[in-house]
Amino acid sequence: MSEARSAILAAIGATLGRRGDNRPAPGSTATLAEADQLRARAAAVRPQRIPGPVHLAFMARLTSPGVAATTEQVATLQDFPAAVRRYLAAHGLTAAVALQPHPDLLALDWAGIQTHSQIGPDEPVAAGLALGGIAETGTLVFHSSPASPTLFAFLPLHHIVAVAADRIWSGLEEYADAFAGQPQPRNVNLVTGASGTTDIEGTLVHGAHGPARLHVVLIGGA
Amino acid sequence: MSAAQSHASPAAARRSFDARVASALADPLLKTAIDRTTNNARTKRAAAIAAWPEFPAARELGRDIKDHVIAHLDHYLVQFEHNAQASGAQVHWARTGQEACDIVIAICRKAGARSVTRAKSMLGEEIGIPHALAAAGIERVETDLAEHIIQLAGDPPSHIVWPALHKTREQVKELFLQRHQDPGPLDSIEAMVASARRELRARFMAADVGISGANFLIADTGAVCTVTNEGNAELTTTPPRVHIVTAGIEKLVPSTVHAMALLRLLVRSATGAELTQYTTFHCGPKRPGDLDGPEEFHIVLVDAGRTRMLADGLAEMLRCIRCGACMNHCVVFRQIGGHAYGATYPGPMGAVLTPALAGLPQSRDLPRACTLNGQCKEVCPVAIPLPTLLRGWRDRIWRDGLEPPAVRWGFGVWRFLVLRPALYRLATGVAVRVMPIFARGGWIASMPLAGGWTRHRDLPRPASQTFMQQYRRRPRP
Repeated sequence: MSEARSAILAAIGATLGRRGDNRPAPGSTATLAEADQLRARAAAVRPQRIPGPVHLAFMARLTSPGVAATTEQVATLQDFPAAVRRYLAAHGLTAAVALQPHPDLLALDWAGIQTHSQIGPDEPVAAGLALGGIAETGTLVFHSSPASPTLFAFLPLHHIVAVAADRIWSGLEEYADAFAGQPQPRNVNLVTGASGTTDIEGTLVHGAHGPARLHVVLIGGA
Repeated sequence: MSAAQSHASPAAARRSFDARVASALADPLLKTAIDRTTNNARTKRAAAIAAWPEFPAARELGRDIKDHVIAHLDHYLVQFEHNAQASGAQVHWARTGQEACDIVIAICRKAGARSVTRAKSMLGEEIGIPHALAAAGIERVETDLAEHIIQLAGDPPSHIVWPALHKTREQVKELFLQRHQDPGPLDSIEAMVASARRELRARFMAADVGISGANFLIADTGAVCTVTNEGNAELTTTPPRVHIVTAGIEKLVPSTVHAMALLRLLVRSATGAELTQYTTFHCGPKRPGDLDGPEEFHIVLVDAGRTRMLADGLAEMLRCIRCGACMNHCVVFRQIGGHAYGATYPGPMGAVLTPALAGLPQSRDLPRACTLNGQCKEVCPVAIPLPTLLRGWRDRIWRDGLEPPAVRWGFGVWRFLVLRPALYRLATGVAVRVMPIFARGGWIASMPLAGGWTRHRDLPRPASQTFMQQYRRRPRP
């Protein structure tokens, strides 16, 4: 509805144009400079993250009460199937896993576990590979792609995720800056802990619609 | 009456504000329900802010980012539109809530939609999407747990973050026992959440269209950011063939980094967490090779009064990021709850927004239902001067002659007296002598003509002499 578009833009222009305080014109270099100045202020006012190496801070945040994920650390991605087997056994789960169709995961030896690449609405367990993690908040980063379908992070009851220790960013800004100027994926999913809700009397309950349990396996960094 | 006001259940909207407040105060369960959630929210927010010494400076940055966007709103809207279209999204513009609903319904019809899932969006409530879908004969499935509860109960939302805040766990249990296919015993909140998960699972996968709102629109990527803790937004927007976003034009930010600075403020102020469990940036439809995602991605940019707010001196209110902290800390909201406000947005931010969106004559009681204690302004993560804006509305109410006759008459009497000092001193002299007759101890529990006050709290016993009497007796230096 282009009529609505021009009416809205004209109404904004009329109001902003009346300002007598030398605001830079829309889209001018002065506008961009002002936006950059605001961006630069963010680093000084953000909360201090847990000190130390980023991958250790990331693991510490994951197990903090606010995130409440479980974690373990293994030496290489080849050790991931064994970590999944241990998790399944510890929770008494059937050895059938929806495996995110990432080439690095498909190349692993999944002996003893039935894997499938389609994910069902009531999938008990999915295993996946995150693009990276954010230490500040204990967040896993997924960028949607043929190798990383979005629903793998939302449909299973248990989500087991491998993430490389050398792919951990210090804070939200470091993550965003790492991809600034690059093509934006269809979905960026920042996942911080298991699904939760406080909609009944403000009481926190896990497993609202997304996974009830999140288990993170850090690869390397020892 | 506009959609913003009429959406609160029609029966409630027809009743006067006083009648709605009276029935809220008379509901013994309501106060319990409000206290359980708001006390929890305030405790968690306080802990999160205490752990963030940079909060005052961060909030100044949040304010400045929003002010910058509002001062360049036309630039960022055009930039966002360009980048969203480049990602394959279809961008629509709507001047009014009605125009936006018409666009949404037209997209649903074209998609042959029978069932629509919705992720909670206050803008969707504001512009009346639930009613538009019902009128079009399209099934609406609310997926946020609280929205699911109030959809089953047939209630409007009573809080912008916890729409079912007015329900106790006992009431939710009753509702689910009656309405869920397979509720089980429901002997805990965990069991209630699990029952809702079972109930909604198949509905997520069967929907033809998913509708969400937006927490931020990212100008330099064309992406739409949503935040949830349940994961219902992604389950609403990913499986259906069509994803529709409705977003207010004030939701823009220049870049992802600017969104991050505001996310920290939003989440801590709303729930006390550091980040929502699911923070997602949606950008366009399914790409080649993708195994999931919508084939069509529509964004409806909605004005619905926002450009008028900008022109009418309410630009500061366009900073609002809908965290709900102002209502959790409001002494009035915590007594009367959200429904008494009779509009989509309750509490302090609602008392400022509703007159702008729905018109001052219909909502003249809201800016007056405020003690001006300033708590809302103190906790606001983008430093909106809410008490100042509320005073601005009171000023307009007076100038437009919208005060009820009793108030105008009262001020008339007061003005008559203060312009005649001898008469004023006589009247106050009588008052300080008569009022102690009704006092027991230091307090007056009831007194003729003061029932409106003493029904809910005591009046302090006045000093034995008026200020002027005491002033005259003061020894001169």
